[in-house]
Amino acid sequence: MADQPILTRRRLLSLFGAAATLPVLSACGSSVGGGDTGSGGSGGGGGGTVKVGLVVPQSGVYAALGTDLQRGWELWLQQNGGKFGDYTVETVIADEGEGPPTGVPAVQKVLQSDGVDVVVGLVNSATALGVKDTLTEAKKLLIVTNAGAEDVTRAQRTPYIWRSSFTNGQIAAAMGTHLASSGFKDGVYLIAPDYAAGKEVIAGFTSAFEAGGGTVLASATTPFGTTTDYQPFLTGIQQAGAKATFCFYSGAEAIAFVKQYQQFGLSSTIPLYGSGFLTEGSVLKQQADAALGVQTTLHYSDQIDNPANKAFVEAYKGAYGGESPSCFSVQSYDAANVLNRALASATALDGDALSTALGGIGTVDDSPRGPWEFENQTPKQNIYLRKVENVEGVLVNAIVQDLGPQSQPAA
Amino acid sequence: MLVSVLNGFAIGFLLFILAVGLSLVFGMMDVLNLAHGALFLGGAYLGAALAGSWGGFLAALAVAAVAGLAAGALLSLMTEPLRNRSHLDQALLTLGVAFVAAEALIIVFGDDPLSVPAPPGLDGSVTVLGATYPTYRLVLIGVGAVLAIVVHVVVERTRIGALVRATVADREMVAALGVDNRLVKVVVFGVGSLLATTAGVLGGPIYGARPGLDATVLILALVVVVIGGLGSVRGALLGALIIGQVDTLGRLLLPELASFVLFAALALVLVLRPQGILGGAGARAR
Repeated sequence: MADQPILTRRRLLSLFGAAATLPVLSACGSSVGGGDTGSGGSGGGGGGTVKVGLVVPQSGVYAALGTDLQRGWELWLQQNGGKFGDYTVETVIADEGEGPPTGVPAVQKVLQSDGVDVVVGLVNSATALGVKDTLTEAKKLLIVTNAGAEDVTRAQRTPYIWRSSFTNGQIAAAMGTHLASSGFKDGVYLIAPDYAAGKEVIAGFTSAFEAGGGTVLASATTPFGTTTDYQPFLTGIQQAGAKATFCFYSGAEAIAFVKQYQQFGLSSTIPLYGSGFLTEGSVLKQQADAALGVQTTLHYSDQIDNPANKAFVEAYKGAYGGESPSCFSVQSYDAANVLNRALASATALDGDALSTALGGIGTVDDSPRGPWEFENQTPKQNIYLRKVENVEGVLVNAIVQDLGPQSQPAA
Repeated sequence: MLVSVLNGFAIGFLLFILAVGLSLVFGMMDVLNLAHGALFLGGAYLGAALAGSWGGFLAALAVAAVAGLAAGALLSLMTEPLRNRSHLDQALLTLGVAFVAAEALIIVFGDDPLSVPAPPGLDGSVTVLGATYPTYRLVLIGVGAVLAIVVHVVVERTRIGALVRATVADREMVAALGVDNRLVKVVVFGVGSLLATTAGVLGGPIYGARPGLDATVLILALVVVVIGGLGSVRGALLGALIIGQVDTLGRLLLPELASFVLFAALALVLVLRPQGILGGAGARAR
């Protein structure tokens, strides 16, 4: 932002020039699409504007996720001329912050003062659950692009909240089934932070693992957000005689856990498995060689070998200085994709019409993560087993196996 | 089990380097410096930016030392007008400084969590007591022990240390002897802050560098100071070593109480000995 140019005469002239072309452009618009009706709501399938509130973290511990989410959203629009069908998309961005105290007012703000038609975003599960009443009152649609709490599309399900990401248990369950069928029926130690998502991951893993005939050796929970040294817990894993460890950590905790797992000599004797966020995105570079060989399950990896993903990765790298996309980028990219599909058949822009339309879009067949469909308003999607490997000097989550389509686990 | 005791010492000595500065500034200069955690984080980010080679690591230590001295001197001048006001006013001022500093660090270093490599040769692991243990943490125990002795000798055995203690005991009398006691405060504040930034560089390979770490370590430092007793170098050392053990051994033995064990120890000390284990007979426990 430091290089924001001052208003020079040339810039002023070019602004006037741009302003002068506007009437021409809008005239073109009216002849093709039926006129720009300004703020949406009255579009009804024949052009106009759809106003979207993109609520993602721009500050706090999830800010890096927010960047990826915003990039995925903007890339889709950029590739599609900034339009959903005949609708011109106008995006209003608001800062979700870290939790409900900032996230809920941000959603209220885009709904009430910006008057958006659809809300997209939300990283934090408590925020996603906390805006339910606001959306129901306003009768507006929300597409959750990250928050993985089961309740969002299970116990607290409402027609106004859909999800383009994953559920915590869905990803863990795939690993539970896999480990039970690959020689670890006993001796698996579980460890996760002691907050809601950690508990859902442990629960999702355990029920799938036990259904596959496995027995959990022991489990531990670590204080969330304040644990910086995992040595006592790592010694606990060794003393328990574990044959494998399954864990759920993300962000700074993922970096510390994976590095210390190697430093204390566990990685050479007790293989480490995890929910995919353990090695996803920017944390992998910080973990460096300590992450080699770690296996995780997730609904995406930039290494997936399909034409849609190849094109997506290439476009993303081109647009954002060579940075690889993460699962977060794909989640918001797909949110734009499904909204586009829904608007093709939606009769109005209110939550009820859009919800009905989303229910009828069928399989999303051009997603970078592979084909997926909505089931109870959250993706039923393929989960991939991935292993951290060094490919030409860069650490990547190489695909080991496609574990097949996975639903949200039943309660 | 034994490796946890060993690790308790590593964490304990790191906490000592972190907390002794806070203890000196609060106990001796009577200023509660809540920007102490931000100073630590500044050191950790310096380590993240420069470390990787021995040259980089030592450069990070040197830059952190100079920056710490300067920041401490600045904080000292800022709190000077509040000298006769309550601790709360000073705490609010330094808390504001801490927020500004934390935000500035995010602007400079970004908000991704960073890991800090240990210097070459120390980044591996060795076998101690039949368990694999990171070499860097072993070295940290030695460095912490040496620093503890140095700080103790300076405060208790040298002329400068005597001057500092005299300033604490009777500020006006020292001034009457012709010593500028504002200078004494600047020096103590500077050295206290230097210890915080140094602890940040030394702690980087263990704690990493990330937004929010400043608050985590500030709380740990406050717990150490309260347990050990204010203004006492030996108290800070004892408090840090106790917390190091409580945090590792306690978590190993009582994993399900991991969140509480640290603060349970704090509560126990406060109930039984409110002035801290080595706190002088209620002297500065106002």
